[in-house]
Amino acid sequence: MLKILACLVIVSAGGICGMLVARGYSLRPVELRSLKSALQMLETEITYAATPLAEALGLVAARTDCRLAPLFEETRKELLSMSGCTAKEAWEKALFKFYPRSSLIGCDISILRSLGGALGISDSSGQSKHLRLAMEQIGAELEKAEVSALQHVKLWNYLGFLGGLVIVLIFY
Amino acid sequence: MSRLVYSTDNCRVTIKPSPWQEVTKVLPASIRSIISGLPLNILEKLEEIRLRQNRPLILGLSDGDILLGINGKPAVEPLDCYLVTADDIQRVTQLISGCSLYAFDEELKNGFITLPGGHRVGLTGKTVLENGRVRTLKYITGLNIRISREVKGAASPLLPFIIDQRDQSVLNTLLFSPPRCGKTTMLRDIIRQLSNGIPELNFRGVVVGVVDERSELAGCWQGVPQREVGIRTDVLDGCRKSEGMFMLLRSMAPRVIATDEIGTDEDFAALEGVFNAGVKVLTTVHAASLAELNQRPALRNLLNMKVIERFVLLGRSKNIGTIEEIIDGRTMLPLPGKEVEQCLKYLPAL
Repeated sequence: MLKILACLVIVSAGGICGMLVARGYSLRPVELRSLKSALQMLETEITYAATPLAEALGLVAARTDCRLAPLFEETRKELLSMSGCTAKEAWEKALFKFYPRSSLIGCDISILRSLGGALGISDSSGQSKHLRLAMEQIGAELEKAEVSALQHVKLWNYLGFLGGLVIVLIFY
Repeated sequence: MSRLVYSTDNCRVTIKPSPWQEVTKVLPASIRSIISGLPLNILEKLEEIRLRQNRPLILGLSDGDILLGINGKPAVEPLDCYLVTADDIQRVTQLISGCSLYAFDEELKNGFITLPGGHRVGLTGKTVLENGRVRTLKYITGLNIRISREVKGAASPLLPFIIDQRDQSVLNTLLFSPPRCGKTTMLRDIIRQLSNGIPELNFRGVVVGVVDERSELAGCWQGVPQREVGIRTDVLDGCRKSEGMFMLLRSMAPRVIATDEIGTDEDFAALEGVFNAGVKVLTTVHAASLAELNQRPALRNLLNMKVIERFVLLGRSKNIGTIEEIIDGRTMLPLPGKEVEQCLKYLPAL
């Protein structure tokens, strides 16, 4: 009886692990898509309305996907604290907190980091160029992420359970 | 250091930071700590903070300049001085614009950005030209943070001479002085008192329109005056003087229009329009003497029109904001009388 129970636990644990990995693959394109539209909103606020950065970030945070909102909201809070930090530092700080909770991977984060270095330091056409570049790069990553999700989501969902079963068969 | 302020709108006592505390918010931590550590007697005399890349940090005080050392104490030898780094300049540039330089295109063209509270930051660097006119500034390497002060009562000794007490009207007045002599502070207090009313002179408050092109007079932040400019004052913030004066004339029916630092031909042309509309004018201009005023063609025309009824020369002989001379616009001679002598002896607290 105990053996059967242990087998069930191993198979379920394997399945859950597989589903978690698969969830990462499936969520990344969703987050990248939201990120792209959030940056589009930011560009509109900056180039057409010349809204100050902190205010623009607040507006984006209010309108964007709740998974991404903390990145913009944290940066806004840091800027308004007048602690003497620049937009780059505030963005990096928020990114550092946001990264572990997101499904984004290293190359997505490096796009966001290089965007942070350009935020607020040039005229509106300069800002637009940097934001568009980031959006293009995110777009390219999104295409890759979608292909990768198609390939990996099902694979990891099955692999988890099958891995659990293999372990059970080996030790049974 | 901070001032207790009784706020009438919400019946609460609030702590208002000193002017120097307001400007230190835009400084990087290293410079902020040096300046905040200075003795209060120095901080109270602080008028300017000058940052020039790779050169010493200089504070402009009311009685001269001092160089600051790394230890936060005044230094004499350039080697002991705190040298302003490129990173310091970049940080200040970002902080004064709220990390939003793109929102200050027009200000960069004019070479200055105004902070909340009316403090003005002058910028120098490489200008980018377009069709022969400045489009923007890049490689910003020099900053001058000028601290704006609000001195209530600064204009009290002058007011009897710029108000016609018989018909309770304000006289067209031009304040003039070299830079850093307290013109803006004086004008702000004149506006405040004329707007609120002056019981000592039996003067009831009048509607004052202020065209605050550089956001220095009212220190508007998002359109709301941060400085006390009076209860009957309407402020057009960030508006060109030449356009703003006509806008106020058409829309707000002011009895007095006040504006700071007139200088261009358009400004003088707009002033003529205001005089012809029967509205009184209070304004300031940079000049050290009447002779200097006369040398500028546009101003010469204004003088020849004989519409300015009072010329007031400010200086620093006793302190910043010393009233050096009050000149009658019709005779172009100093006003006589014991009251004037007493006014000229007044020790200002600017």
